[in-house]
Amino acid sequence: MENVATHEDWKVCFSELAPGLVLFARQWVRSPADAEDVVQDAFVRFWRRNLSIKNRALLHAAVRSAALDLIRRDNRRARREVEVFGEAERSVQPQFEQLDDSQRQLVAALDHLPRDQREVLVMKIWNELTFAEIGEALGVSQNTAASRYRYGLAALKKTFQPQ
Amino acid sequence: MNEELENELKKLRPVRPSAELISRVERALADAGETGAKIIRPERFRVNWLGLAAAATFLILARVDFRPTEKTKQTNVSATPPLQQKAAALPNYQATGLTQVVYSKRDEGLVFPRGAEGPSRRVRTAKRETFRWRDRQSGAQLAVSYPTEEVTLIPVSGQ
Repeated sequence: MENVATHEDWKVCFSELAPGLVLFARQWVRSPADAEDVVQDAFVRFWRRNLSIKNRALLHAAVRSAALDLIRRDNRRARREVEVFGEAERSVQPQFEQLDDSQRQLVAALDHLPRDQREVLVMKIWNELTFAEIGEALGVSQNTAASRYRYGLAALKKTFQPQ
Repeated sequence: MNEELENELKKLRPVRPSAELISRVERALADAGETGAKIIRPERFRVNWLGLAAAATFLILARVDFRPTEKTKQTNVSATPPLQQKAAALPNYQATGLTQVVYSKRDEGLVFPRGAEGPSRRVRTAKRETFRWRDRQSGAQLAVSYPTEEVTLIPVSGQ
């Protein structure tokens, strides 16, 4: 009997990947609702194209592409999100669960990283992509992805002191 | 120290998406399955080593150049009208030169254009173009310079 992966497998896979993908999408669109829309759009488009679900680099590229499309579709809102996105939204709509004081400090430090470093950290830490996969998703070399990761950690170290 | 920091980061658990998202995606996949009968067959993605060896041999022999050529490039947006069109608007002037200075070329990564078969790489090129004309009778010269932006989609195959 042939091994057929139906949409049930995709559902299981999606359930596993969704938290990381939504967190990744929130690096561009800060509203959780928008991030979920982006992930849904990207995931369904990905599935329709019969792309291999094991190609996580392409899946993340799809989410990134969908997020950037959303931003371009609504320039005014994008400006508002980029410029006005501030402490209020960060605190009201956390990206992580049940944080203690030290973790809140770490998340704040993470939020202040440059976007190119933050997205690499999010892909590496919470989506467990390799540097090769990150490079493929972002259209940069593996070495560039690794450098951004190192710079990101170094910047975090400066602002975050573990208690 | 890096490991310590990485461990601290790994302890953070991303917020679970809403249950509604899972059901929305489930519905969308079911809809897509009904309309397109999409079934992913993992064996489709298995590497056919014999085919791969044959392809490698072909590449070595044919020395196929994978760099995008003018034919494979698909320009989506270009604000530059052709030179002939510009010249036609100035009947007494003869076009004498065109200078294009590329001052920025940015690879924006993979995109998934609607209606396209597969992903493409989007390259945004910013240029300054300068056209020069010369009046055939008086010898007067005219130069027009302006910035342009060009978006190129280069089909990518990696699967």
